[in-house]
Amino acid sequence: MSVFTIFWRNVKWRFHNAFTVVITILQPMLWLVLYSAVAGQSMQGIGITNYTAFILPGLIVLVSFGACSSSGIMNYLMKTDGSFYRVLIAPVQRSSIVLGQVLEAVLCTFLEVAIIFIVSLFFSVKIASGFLGMLLIVLLVFMTAFFIAGLTYAISLCLPNEVVYETVMNAIVLPVFFLSTALFPLDMLSGGLAIVVNLNPFTHVINALRALILQGNIITLDIIFVFLLLAVMCFISFSWALHRLRKETSL
Amino acid sequence: MAAIRVENLVKKYKNGVQALDGLSLRVNDGEIFSLLGQNGAGKSTLINVLTTYLRPTSGSVTMFGKDIYRESAAIRAQISCVAQRTSIDIHLSLTENMMFQSKLYKVSKSEAKKRMETLIKVFGLERYLKYSVSSYSGGIKRRLDIALSMMSNPKVLFLDEPTVGMDIQSRIAMWNMMKKIRNDFGTTIFLTTHYLEEADQLSDTICIMKKGKEVIQGMPHALREYLRQDMMKISFATKEEAKSCFQQLKSVIALKEIDLRHDKIITNLKNNHSDLEKANRWLLDYKIPFLGIEIMQPTLEDVFIRLTGENGKEVY
Repeated sequence: MSVFTIFWRNVKWRFHNAFTVVITILQPMLWLVLYSAVAGQSMQGIGITNYTAFILPGLIVLVSFGACSSSGIMNYLMKTDGSFYRVLIAPVQRSSIVLGQVLEAVLCTFLEVAIIFIVSLFFSVKIASGFLGMLLIVLLVFMTAFFIAGLTYAISLCLPNEVVYETVMNAIVLPVFFLSTALFPLDMLSGGLAIVVNLNPFTHVINALRALILQGNIITLDIIFVFLLLAVMCFISFSWALHRLRKETSL
Repeated sequence: MAAIRVENLVKKYKNGVQALDGLSLRVNDGEIFSLLGQNGAGKSTLINVLTTYLRPTSGSVTMFGKDIYRESAAIRAQISCVAQRTSIDIHLSLTENMMFQSKLYKVSKSEAKKRMETLIKVFGLERYLKYSVSSYSGGIKRRLDIALSMMSNPKVLFLDEPTVGMDIQSRIAMWNMMKKIRNDFGTTIFLTTHYLEEADQLSDTICIMKKGKEVIQGMPHALREYLRQDMMKISFATKEEAKSCFQQLKSVIALKEIDLRHDKIITNLKNNHSDLEKANRWLLDYKIPFLGIEIMQPTLEDVFIRLTGENGKEVY
Protein backbone atom coordinates (compact mmCIF):
# COMPACT_ATOMS: atom_id res chain seq x y z
CA MET A 1 0.00 0.00 0.00
CA SER A 2 2.76 2.44 0.96
CA VAL A 3 4.72 1.26 -2.08
CA PHE A 4 1.83 2.39 -4.26
CA THR A 5 1.63 5.75 -2.44
CA ILE A 6 5.31 6.50 -3.11
CA PHE A 7 4.96 5.12 -6.66
CA TRP A 8 1.97 7.44 -7.27
CA ARG A 9 3.88 10.49 -6.00
CA ASN A 10 6.74 9.74 -8.39
CA VAL A 11 4.43 9.06 -11.35
CA LYS A 12 2.87 12.49 -10.71
CA TRP A 13 6.37 13.97 -10.72
CA ARG A 14 7.00 12.31 -14.09
CA PHE A 15 3.78 13.74 -15.54
CA HIS A 16 4.77 17.14 -14.19
CA ASN A 17 8.21 16.81 -15.79
CA ALA A 18 7.30 14.93 -18.96
CA PHE A 19 10.27 16.43 -20.80
CA THR A 20 12.53 14.06 -18.81
CA VAL A 21 11.08 11.20 -20.89
CA VAL A 22 11.93 13.05 -24.11
CA ILE A 23 15.44 13.96 -22.92
CA THR A 24 16.35 10.44 -21.84
CA ILE A 25 15.02 8.79 -24.98
CA LEU A 26 16.56 11.29 -27.38
CA GLN A 27 20.08 9.84 -27.46
CA PRO A 28 19.04 6.16 -27.90
CA MET A 29 16.62 7.27 -30.61
CA LEU A 30 19.44 9.01 -32.49
CA TRP A 31 21.51 5.84 -32.23
CA LEU A 32 18.57 3.80 -33.50
CA VAL A 33 17.66 6.02 -36.43
CA LEU A 34 20.93 7.63 -37.52
CA TYR A 35 23.72 5.36 -36.35
CA SER A 36 22.04 2.14 -37.47
CA ALA A 37 21.42 3.63 -40.93
CA VAL A 38 25.02 4.82 -41.31
CA ALA A 39 26.80 1.81 -39.81
CA GLY A 40 24.29 -0.73 -41.13
CA GLN A 41 25.82 -0.77 -44.62
CA SER A 42 29.34 -1.61 -43.44
CA MET A 43 28.00 -4.22 -41.01
CA GLN A 44 26.35 -6.13 -43.85
CA GLY A 45 29.85 -7.21 -44.85
CA ILE A 46 30.22 -9.24 -41.64
CA GLY A 47 26.86 -10.96 -41.98
CA ILE A 48 24.57 -8.66 -39.98
CA THR A 49 21.60 -8.14 -42.27
CA ASN A 50 19.46 -5.90 -40.04
CA TYR A 51 21.82 -3.74 -37.97
CA THR A 52 18.90 -1.83 -36.37
CA ALA A 53 17.64 -5.11 -34.89
CA PHE A 54 21.22 -5.92 -33.88
CA ILE A 55 21.78 -2.74 -31.85
CA LEU A 56 18.24 -2.62 -30.42
CA PRO A 57 19.14 -4.69 -27.26
CA GLY A 58 22.06 -2.36 -26.50
CA LEU A 59 19.79 0.63 -26.92
CA ILE A 60 17.27 -0.94 -24.53
CA VAL A 61 20.03 -1.03 -21.89
CA LEU A 62 20.98 2.57 -22.77
CA VAL A 63 17.33 3.66 -22.43
CA SER A 64 17.14 1.87 -19.07
CA PHE A 65 20.17 3.78 -17.82
CA GLY A 66 18.68 7.08 -18.97
CA ALA A 67 15.24 6.50 -17.48
CA CYS A 68 16.52 4.97 -14.24
CA SER A 69 19.05 7.72 -13.60
CA SER A 70 16.03 9.81 -12.69
CA SER A 71 15.43 7.44 -9.77
CA GLY A 72 18.58 8.89 -8.25
CA ILE A 73 17.95 12.48 -9.35
CA MET A 74 14.52 12.22 -7.72
CA ASN A 75 16.22 11.94 -4.30
CA TYR A 76 17.97 15.28 -4.74
CA LEU A 77 14.77 16.94 -5.96
CA MET A 78 12.69 15.46 -3.15
CA LYS A 79 15.23 16.68 -0.60
CA THR A 80 15.07 20.28 -1.81
CA ASP A 81 11.50 20.63 -3.09
CA GLY A 82 9.72 17.55 -1.90
CA SER A 83 8.70 15.22 0.85
CA PHE A 84 11.93 13.21 1.28
CA TYR A 85 12.37 14.04 4.97
CA ARG A 86 8.65 13.95 5.79
CA VAL A 87 8.37 10.44 4.35
CA LEU A 88 11.31 9.28 6.45
CA ILE A 89 9.53 10.10 9.71
CA ALA A 90 6.17 8.71 8.52
CA PRO A 91 5.19 5.16 9.50
CA VAL A 92 6.39 3.77 6.17
CA GLN A 93 8.85 0.91 5.79
CA ARG A 94 12.19 1.89 4.25
CA SER A 95 11.89 -0.94 1.74
CA SER A 96 8.52 0.47 0.55
CA ILE A 97 10.11 3.89 0.00
CA VAL A 98 12.89 2.42 -2.17
CA LEU A 99 10.56 0.00 -3.97
CA GLY A 100 8.00 2.69 -4.83
CA GLN A 101 10.68 4.87 -6.38
CA VAL A 102 12.40 2.01 -8.20
CA LEU A 103 9.13 0.76 -9.70
CA GLU A 104 8.34 4.20 -11.12
CA ALA A 105 11.73 4.17 -12.87
CA VAL A 106 10.91 0.70 -14.21
CA LEU A 107 7.57 1.95 -15.52
CA CYS A 108 9.29 4.87 -17.23
CA THR A 109 11.81 2.46 -18.76
CA PHE A 110 8.96 0.34 -20.17
CA LEU A 111 7.37 3.42 -21.69
CA GLU A 112 10.61 4.41 -23.39
CA VAL A 113 11.43 0.85 -24.49
CA ALA A 114 7.93 0.60 -26.00
CA ILE A 115 8.55 3.79 -28.00
CA ILE A 116 11.93 2.46 -29.19
CA PHE A 117 10.30 -0.85 -30.23
CA ILE A 118 7.54 0.93 -32.12
CA VAL A 119 10.06 3.08 -34.00
CA SER A 120 12.19 0.02 -34.76
CA LEU A 121 9.18 -1.58 -36.47
CA PHE A 122 9.72 0.96 -39.26
CA PHE A 123 13.19 -0.55 -39.70
CA SER A 124 11.76 -4.06 -40.24
CA VAL A 125 12.62 -5.28 -36.74
CA LYS A 126 10.60 -8.32 -35.69
CA ILE A 127 10.76 -10.55 -32.62
CA ALA A 128 11.74 -13.90 -34.05
CA SER A 129 11.04 -15.86 -30.84
CA GLY A 130 7.33 -14.97 -30.89
CA PHE A 131 5.03 -14.44 -27.91
CA LEU A 132 7.13 -16.42 -25.42
CA GLY A 133 10.18 -14.47 -26.53
CA MET A 134 8.24 -11.24 -26.02
CA LEU A 135 7.38 -12.27 -22.44
CA LEU A 136 10.99 -13.11 -21.73
CA ILE A 137 12.09 -9.74 -23.16
CA VAL A 138 9.58 -7.98 -20.86
CA LEU A 139 10.98 -9.85 -17.87
CA LEU A 140 14.58 -9.11 -18.86
CA VAL A 141 13.80 -5.40 -19.31
CA PHE A 142 12.03 -5.35 -15.94
CA MET A 143 14.99 -6.89 -14.13
CA THR A 144 17.55 -4.75 -15.94
CA ALA A 145 15.65 -1.56 -15.10
CA PHE A 146 15.08 -2.73 -11.50
CA PHE A 147 18.80 -3.33 -11.06
CA ILE A 148 19.83 0.02 -12.57
CA ALA A 149 17.17 1.98 -10.63
CA GLY A 150 18.33 0.43 -7.35
CA LEU A 151 21.92 1.20 -8.26
CA THR A 152 21.23 4.85 -9.13
CA TYR A 153 19.13 5.25 -5.96
CA ALA A 154 22.06 4.05 -3.83
CA ILE A 155 24.63 6.12 -5.74
CA SER A 156 22.54 9.27 -5.32
CA LEU A 157 22.50 8.82 -1.54
CA CYS A 158 26.31 8.46 -1.54
CA LEU A 159 27.03 11.62 -3.53
CA PRO A 160 26.59 15.19 -2.30
CA ASN A 161 24.71 16.85 -5.19
CA GLU A 162 23.14 16.45 -8.63
CA VAL A 163 26.17 17.75 -10.51
CA VAL A 164 28.53 15.17 -9.04
CA TYR A 165 25.85 12.52 -9.51
CA GLU A 166 25.41 13.32 -13.22
CA THR A 167 29.18 13.28 -13.73
CA VAL A 168 29.53 9.90 -12.04
CA MET A 169 26.59 8.45 -13.99
CA ASN A 170 28.12 9.59 -17.28
CA ALA A 171 31.41 8.04 -16.24
CA ILE A 172 29.61 4.73 -15.63
CA VAL A 173 27.16 4.58 -18.55
CA LEU A 174 29.48 5.23 -21.49
CA PRO A 175 32.16 2.62 -20.58
CA VAL A 176 29.43 0.09 -19.75
CA PHE A 177 27.80 0.74 -23.14
CA PHE A 178 30.94 0.68 -25.27
CA LEU A 179 32.59 -2.21 -23.40
CA SER A 180 29.67 -4.50 -24.17
CA THR A 181 28.32 -6.18 -27.28
CA ALA A 182 25.85 -3.30 -27.82
CA LEU A 183 27.35 -2.23 -31.15
CA PHE A 184 29.33 -5.27 -32.39
CA PRO A 185 29.38 -9.06 -31.94
CA LEU A 186 31.68 -10.60 -29.32
CA ASP A 187 33.37 -12.95 -31.81
CA MET A 188 35.00 -9.94 -33.47
CA LEU A 189 37.01 -9.30 -30.30
CA SER A 190 40.06 -11.02 -28.86
CA GLY A 191 42.56 -10.69 -26.01
CA GLY A 192 42.06 -8.45 -22.98
CA LEU A 193 39.22 -6.48 -24.54
CA ALA A 194 37.21 -9.68 -25.06
CA ILE A 195 37.71 -10.57 -21.38
CA VAL A 196 36.57 -7.12 -20.22
CA VAL A 197 33.50 -7.23 -22.48
CA ASN A 198 32.71 -10.74 -21.19
CA LEU A 199 32.97 -9.57 -17.59
CA ASN A 200 30.44 -6.81 -18.26
CA PRO A 201 27.09 -8.26 -17.08
CA PHE A 202 25.22 -6.14 -19.62
CA THR A 203 27.01 -8.06 -22.40
CA HIS A 204 25.05 -11.15 -21.33
CA VAL A 205 21.79 -9.23 -20.99
CA ILE A 206 22.27 -7.72 -24.48
CA ASN A 207 23.20 -11.13 -25.95
CA ALA A 208 20.09 -12.72 -24.44
CA LEU A 209 17.83 -9.94 -25.73
CA ARG A 210 19.51 -10.15 -29.14
CA ALA A 211 18.99 -13.90 -29.30
CA LEU A 212 15.30 -13.47 -28.50
CA ILE A 213 14.88 -10.74 -31.13
CA LEU A 214 16.96 -12.24 -33.95
CA GLN A 215 16.72 -16.01 -33.42
CA GLY A 216 13.61 -18.16 -33.40
CA ASN A 217 15.05 -20.80 -31.07
CA ILE A 218 15.50 -19.98 -27.38
CA ILE A 219 18.59 -21.45 -25.71
CA THR A 220 17.17 -22.22 -22.27
CA LEU A 221 20.48 -22.50 -20.39
CA ASP A 222 21.71 -19.14 -21.62
CA ILE A 223 18.44 -17.44 -20.69
CA ILE A 224 18.40 -19.05 -17.22
CA PHE A 225 21.98 -17.90 -16.63
CA VAL A 226 21.07 -14.31 -17.51
CA PHE A 227 17.97 -14.38 -15.28
CA LEU A 228 20.01 -15.70 -12.36
CA LEU A 229 22.69 -13.08 -12.97
CA LEU A 230 20.09 -10.31 -13.03
CA ALA A 231 18.33 -11.70 -9.93
CA VAL A 232 21.59 -11.54 -7.97
CA MET A 233 22.34 -8.04 -9.31
CA CYS A 234 18.82 -6.82 -8.43
CA PHE A 235 19.17 -8.19 -4.91
CA ILE A 236 22.54 -6.48 -4.44
CA SER A 237 21.44 -3.10 -5.83
CA PHE A 238 18.16 -3.07 -3.87
CA SER A 239 19.94 -4.04 -0.65
CA TRP A 240 22.54 -1.32 -1.20
CA ALA A 241 19.82 1.29 -1.85
CA LEU A 242 18.01 0.18 1.31
CA HIS A 243 21.22 0.30 3.31
CA ARG A 244 21.97 3.83 2.08
CA LEU A 245 18.47 5.03 2.93
CA ARG A 246 18.75 3.59 6.43
CA LYS A 247 22.10 5.37 6.82
CA GLU A 248 20.35 8.70 6.15
CA THR A 249 19.03 8.49 9.71
CA SER A 250 22.27 7.43 11.40
CA LEU A 251 24.57 10.38 10.82
CA MET B 1 0.80 12.51 32.09
CA ALA B 2 4.16 12.83 30.35
CA ALA B 3 3.89 12.89 26.57
CA ILE B 4 7.68 12.90 26.20
CA ARG B 5 10.35 12.04 28.69
CA VAL B 6 14.00 12.53 27.76
CA GLU B 7 16.75 11.36 30.05
CA ASN B 8 20.45 12.02 29.76
CA LEU B 9 20.34 12.27 25.97
CA VAL B 10 23.65 12.44 24.13
CA LYS B 11 24.12 12.85 20.40
CA LYS B 12 27.60 12.89 18.95
CA TYR B 13 27.77 13.07 15.15
CA LYS B 14 30.22 10.92 13.27
CA ASN B 15 32.23 14.04 12.42
CA GLY B 16 32.89 14.49 16.14
CA VAL B 17 30.45 17.34 16.84
CA GLN B 18 28.59 16.80 20.10
CA ALA B 19 25.16 18.37 19.61
CA LEU B 20 23.46 17.01 22.76
CA ASP B 21 25.29 16.59 26.01
CA GLY B 22 23.23 14.73 28.61
CA LEU B 23 19.95 16.60 28.09
CA SER B 24 16.89 15.72 30.19
CA LEU B 25 13.37 17.13 29.94
CA ARG B 26 9.70 16.29 30.32
CA VAL B 27 6.78 17.39 28.13
CA ASN B 28 3.26 17.06 29.48
CA ASP B 29 0.37 15.76 27.38
CA GLY B 30 -1.65 18.52 25.68
CA GLU B 31 0.71 21.40 26.38
CA ILE B 32 2.72 23.79 24.25
CA PHE B 33 6.33 23.15 25.17
CA SER B 34 8.88 25.68 23.95
CA LEU B 35 12.53 24.88 23.65
CA LEU B 36 14.57 28.07 23.62
CA GLY B 37 18.12 28.22 22.48
CA GLN B 38 20.49 30.12 20.26
CA ASN B 39 21.70 28.83 16.90
CA GLY B 40 23.84 25.77 17.44
CA ALA B 41 22.36 25.00 20.88
CA GLY B 42 21.21 21.58 19.64
CA LYS B 43 17.49 22.31 19.20
CA SER B 44 17.18 20.87 15.68
CA THR B 45 19.25 17.83 16.61
CA LEU B 46 16.92 17.20 19.54
CA ILE B 47 13.86 17.44 17.26
CA ASN B 48 15.52 15.08 14.77
CA VAL B 49 16.14 12.59 17.57
CA LEU B 50 12.62 12.92 19.00
CA THR B 51 11.04 12.44 15.56
CA THR B 52 13.05 9.21 15.05
CA TYR B 53 15.01 10.80 12.22
CA LEU B 54 18.32 10.51 14.07
CA ARG B 55 19.54 7.88 16.48
CA PRO B 56 21.00 9.21 19.73
CA THR B 57 24.44 8.13 20.88
CA SER B 58 23.11 7.35 24.36
CA GLY B 59 20.27 8.20 26.75
CA SER B 60 16.60 7.33 26.64
CA VAL B 61 13.51 8.86 25.06
CA THR B 62 10.02 7.63 25.82
CA MET B 63 6.83 8.93 24.26
CA PHE B 64 3.55 8.03 25.98
CA GLY B 65 5.55 5.41 27.87
CA LYS B 66 6.97 3.77 24.73
CA ASP B 67 10.66 3.71 23.88
CA ILE B 68 10.86 5.60 20.61
CA TYR B 69 13.57 3.38 19.13
CA ARG B 70 12.23 0.00 20.12
CA GLU B 71 8.72 0.96 19.01
CA SER B 72 9.54 3.52 16.33
CA ALA B 73 6.82 2.33 13.94
CA ALA B 74 4.11 2.89 16.56
CA ILE B 75 5.61 6.25 17.57
CA ARG B 76 5.88 7.48 13.98
CA ALA B 77 2.15 6.97 13.56
CA GLN B 78 1.52 9.33 16.50
CA ILE B 79 3.83 12.21 15.66
CA SER B 80 4.33 14.79 12.93
CA CYS B 81 7.08 17.27 12.33
CA VAL B 82 7.34 20.59 10.57
CA ALA B 83 11.04 21.00 9.99
CA GLN B 84 12.90 24.23 9.25
CA ARG B 85 13.14 23.19 5.60
CA THR B 86 9.61 22.87 4.23
CA SER B 87 8.88 19.35 3.07
CA ILE B 88 6.17 19.82 0.46
CA ASP B 89 6.03 18.23 -2.99
CA ILE B 90 5.83 21.22 -5.27
CA HIS B 91 4.78 19.03 -8.22
CA LEU B 92 1.59 18.07 -6.34
CA SER B 93 -1.37 20.38 -5.76
CA LEU B 94 -2.37 21.51 -2.26
CA THR B 95 -5.05 18.82 -1.98
CA GLU B 96 -2.81 16.14 -3.51
CA ASN B 97 -0.15 16.95 -0.92
CA MET B 98 -2.70 16.56 1.85
CA MET B 99 -4.07 13.29 0.48
CA PHE B 100 -0.52 11.97 0.00
CA GLN B 101 0.20 12.68 3.66
CA SER B 102 -2.99 10.90 4.73
CA LYS B 103 -2.05 7.85 2.66
CA LEU B 104 1.38 7.71 4.31
CA TYR B 105 -0.42 7.50 7.66
CA LYS B 106 -3.07 5.10 6.33
CA VAL B 107 -5.99 7.43 7.05
CA SER B 108 -9.14 6.26 5.26
CA LYS B 109 -10.13 8.27 2.19
CA SER B 110 -13.42 9.55 3.61
CA GLU B 111 -11.80 10.55 6.92
CA ALA B 112 -8.92 12.18 5.05
CA LYS B 113 -11.32 14.28 2.98
CA LYS B 114 -13.12 15.45 6.12
CA ARG B 115 -9.85 16.37 7.83
CA MET B 116 -8.59 18.10 4.71
CA GLU B 117 -11.66 20.33 4.52
CA THR B 118 -11.39 21.23 8.22
CA LEU B 119 -7.68 21.99 8.02
CA ILE B 120 -7.99 24.08 4.86
CA LYS B 121 -10.58 26.16 6.70
CA VAL B 122 -8.65 26.38 10.00
CA PHE B 123 -5.41 27.35 8.26
CA GLY B 124 -7.10 29.79 5.86
CA LEU B 125 -5.87 28.02 2.76
CA GLU B 126 -9.11 28.18 0.69
CA ARG B 127 -7.97 30.96 -1.59
CA TYR B 128 -4.72 29.18 -2.47
CA LEU B 129 -6.45 26.03 -3.74
CA LYS B 130 -6.46 27.16 -7.35
CA TYR B 131 -2.76 28.07 -7.49
CA SER B 132 0.18 25.72 -7.91
CA VAL B 133 2.12 25.01 -4.72
CA SER B 134 5.40 26.12 -6.34
CA SER B 135 4.00 29.67 -6.59
CA TYR B 136 3.23 29.95 -2.84
CA SER B 137 5.18 32.36 -0.67
CA GLY B 138 7.38 31.00 2.12
CA GLY B 139 4.74 31.83 4.76
CA ILE B 140 1.94 30.00 2.91
CA LYS B 141 4.19 27.01 2.29
CA ARG B 142 4.94 26.93 6.02
CA ARG B 143 1.21 27.10 6.79
CA LEU B 144 0.53 24.27 4.34
CA ASP B 145 3.37 22.28 5.86
CA ILE B 146 1.73 22.53 9.30
CA ALA B 147 -1.71 21.69 7.86
CA LEU B 148 -0.18 18.64 6.16
CA SER B 149 1.34 17.52 9.42
CA MET B 150 -2.08 17.70 11.07
CA MET B 151 -3.64 15.34 8.48
CA SER B 152 -2.66 12.31 10.51
CA ASN B 153 -4.18 13.85 13.66
CA PRO B 154 -0.89 13.47 15.55
CA LYS B 155 -0.67 13.29 19.31
CA VAL B 156 2.53 15.32 19.22
CA LEU B 157 3.39 17.99 16.67
CA PHE B 158 7.01 19.09 16.45
CA LEU B 159 7.65 22.55 15.06
CA ASP B 160 11.25 23.52 14.42
CA GLU B 161 11.48 27.34 14.51
CA PRO B 162 8.13 27.80 12.74
CA THR B 163 8.22 31.60 12.76
CA VAL B 164 11.82 32.21 11.78
CA GLY B 165 12.08 34.92 9.14
CA MET B 166 8.40 35.90 9.43
CA ASP B 167 7.14 39.46 9.86
CA ILE B 168 5.28 40.28 13.10
CA GLN B 169 1.75 39.87 11.62
CA SER B 170 2.57 36.43 10.23
CA ARG B 171 4.14 35.48 13.55
CA ILE B 172 1.04 36.48 15.49
CA ALA B 173 -1.15 34.56 13.00
CA MET B 174 1.12 31.54 13.50
CA TRP B 175 0.85 31.84 17.30
CA ASN B 176 -2.94 31.87 17.06
CA MET B 177 -2.78 28.83 14.82
CA MET B 178 -0.66 26.94 17.33
CA LYS B 179 -3.05 27.79 20.17
CA LYS B 180 -5.91 26.57 18.00
CA ILE B 181 -4.12 23.29 17.29
CA ARG B 182 -3.66 22.71 21.00
CA ASN B 183 -7.17 23.80 22.00
CA ASP B 184 -9.24 22.36 19.11
CA PHE B 185 -7.28 19.19 18.35
CA GLY B 186 -5.76 18.49 21.78
CA THR B 187 -2.34 18.07 20.19
CA THR B 188 0.81 18.40 22.27
CA ILE B 189 3.09 20.95 20.59
CA PHE B 190 6.84 20.77 20.92
CA LEU B 191 8.26 23.97 19.53
CA THR B 192 11.77 25.30 19.14
CA THR B 193 12.47 29.01 18.90
CA HIS B 194 15.05 31.62 19.68
CA TYR B 195 12.47 34.34 20.37
CA LEU B 196 11.90 34.91 24.11
CA GLU B 197 8.64 36.72 23.44
CA GLU B 198 7.27 33.82 21.40
CA ALA B 199 8.03 31.28 24.10
CA ASP B 200 6.58 33.58 26.76
CA GLN B 201 3.33 34.25 24.84
CA LEU B 202 2.61 30.71 23.74
CA SER B 203 3.97 28.18 26.12
CA ASP B 204 2.71 26.19 29.04
CA THR B 205 6.30 25.12 29.72
CA ILE B 206 9.59 26.61 28.62
CA CYS B 207 12.96 24.92 28.54
CA ILE B 208 16.10 26.90 27.81
CA MET B 209 19.05 24.98 26.45
CA LYS B 210 22.63 25.85 25.74
CA LYS B 211 25.46 23.76 24.30
CA GLY B 212 23.32 20.64 24.09
CA LYS B 213 22.10 20.73 27.67
CA GLU B 214 19.06 22.17 29.42
CA VAL B 215 19.83 25.25 31.51
CA ILE B 216 16.42 25.73 33.08
CA GLN B 217 12.87 24.40 32.66
CA GLY B 218 9.63 25.74 34.07
CA MET B 219 6.35 27.50 33.49
CA PRO B 220 6.48 31.02 32.01
CA HIS B 221 5.34 32.70 35.24
CA ALA B 222 8.07 30.89 37.15
CA LEU B 223 10.62 32.11 34.64
CA ARG B 224 9.20 35.63 34.55
CA GLU B 225 12.15 37.05 36.48
CA TYR B 226 14.40 35.78 33.71
CA LEU B 227 12.18 36.44 30.71
CA ARG B 228 10.40 39.69 31.44
CA GLN B 229 12.52 41.65 33.87
CA ASP B 230 13.51 45.10 32.60
CA MET B 231 17.20 45.67 32.11
CA MET B 232 19.25 48.83 32.14
CA LYS B 233 21.85 49.38 29.42
CA ILE B 234 24.54 52.07 29.60
CA SER B 235 26.57 52.43 26.40
CA PHE B 236 30.09 53.87 26.22
CA ALA B 237 32.36 54.86 23.36
CA THR B 238 35.12 52.41 24.32
CA LYS B 239 35.60 49.25 26.32
CA GLU B 240 38.06 51.07 28.63
CA GLU B 241 35.52 53.79 29.48
CA ALA B 242 32.94 51.13 30.31
CA LYS B 243 35.44 49.29 32.52
CA SER B 244 36.48 52.41 34.40
CA CYS B 245 32.88 53.48 35.00
CA PHE B 246 31.89 49.94 36.04
CA GLN B 247 34.34 49.95 38.96
CA GLN B 248 32.99 53.25 40.31
CA LEU B 249 29.31 52.53 39.57
CA LYS B 250 29.48 49.37 41.72
CA SER B 251 29.38 51.61 44.80
CA VAL B 252 26.16 53.27 43.58
CA ILE B 253 24.05 50.32 42.41
CA ALA B 254 24.45 46.55 42.83
CA LEU B 255 26.42 45.16 39.87
CA LYS B 256 27.88 41.76 39.09
CA GLU B 257 31.03 41.10 37.09
CA ILE B 258 28.91 39.58 34.29
CA ASP B 259 27.15 42.94 33.84
CA LEU B 260 30.19 44.43 32.13
CA ARG B 261 29.97 43.48 28.48
CA HIS B 262 32.58 45.03 26.19
CA ASP B 263 31.62 48.70 25.83
CA LYS B 264 28.32 48.37 27.72
CA ILE B 265 27.04 47.81 31.21
CA ILE B 266 23.85 45.74 31.17
CA THR B 267 22.15 44.88 34.44
CA ASN B 268 18.76 43.79 35.76
CA LEU B 269 16.66 46.49 37.39
CA LYS B 270 16.04 45.20 40.87
CA ASN B 271 14.35 48.21 42.51
CA ASN B 272 11.79 49.15 39.88
CA HIS B 273 13.36 52.07 38.09
CA SER B 274 15.16 53.68 41.03
CA ASP B 275 18.48 52.11 39.93
CA LEU B 276 18.02 53.86 36.60
CA GLU B 277 17.53 57.23 38.32
CA LYS B 278 20.49 56.65 40.65
CA ALA B 279 22.83 55.61 37.85
CA ASN B 280 21.69 58.44 35.59
CA ARG B 281 22.15 61.07 38.29
CA TRP B 282 25.58 59.70 39.22
CA LEU B 283 26.76 59.70 35.58
CA LEU B 284 25.66 63.29 35.12
CA ASP B 285 26.93 64.55 38.51
CA TYR B 286 30.39 63.09 37.99
CA LYS B 287 30.43 64.04 34.31
CA ILE B 288 31.17 60.49 33.21
CA PRO B 289 31.28 60.34 29.39
CA PHE B 290 28.67 57.87 28.07
CA LEU B 291 26.68 57.47 24.86
CA GLY B 292 23.28 56.57 26.28
CA ILE B 293 21.26 54.98 29.05
CA GLU B 294 18.07 53.06 28.42
CA ILE B 295 15.65 50.42 29.67
CA MET B 296 15.42 47.27 27.54
CA GLN B 297 13.82 43.84 27.53
CA PRO B 298 16.26 40.95 28.00
CA THR B 299 17.43 39.10 24.91
CA LEU B 300 18.04 35.38 24.92
CA GLU B 301 21.73 36.11 25.32
CA ASP B 302 21.01 38.19 28.46
CA VAL B 303 18.98 35.34 29.92
CA PHE B 304 21.78 32.88 29.17
CA ILE B 305 24.39 35.12 30.74
CA ARG B 306 22.27 35.50 33.83
CA LEU B 307 21.42 31.82 34.10
CA THR B 308 24.88 30.52 33.44
CA GLY B 309 26.25 33.21 35.72
CA GLU B 310 24.14 31.66 38.44
CA ASN B 311 25.34 28.17 37.44
CA GLY B 312 21.86 27.24 36.21
CA LYS B 313 18.93 26.04 38.24
CA GLU B 314 15.55 24.43 37.77
CA VAL B 315 12.27 26.18 38.44
CA TYR B 316 8.97 24.28 38.61
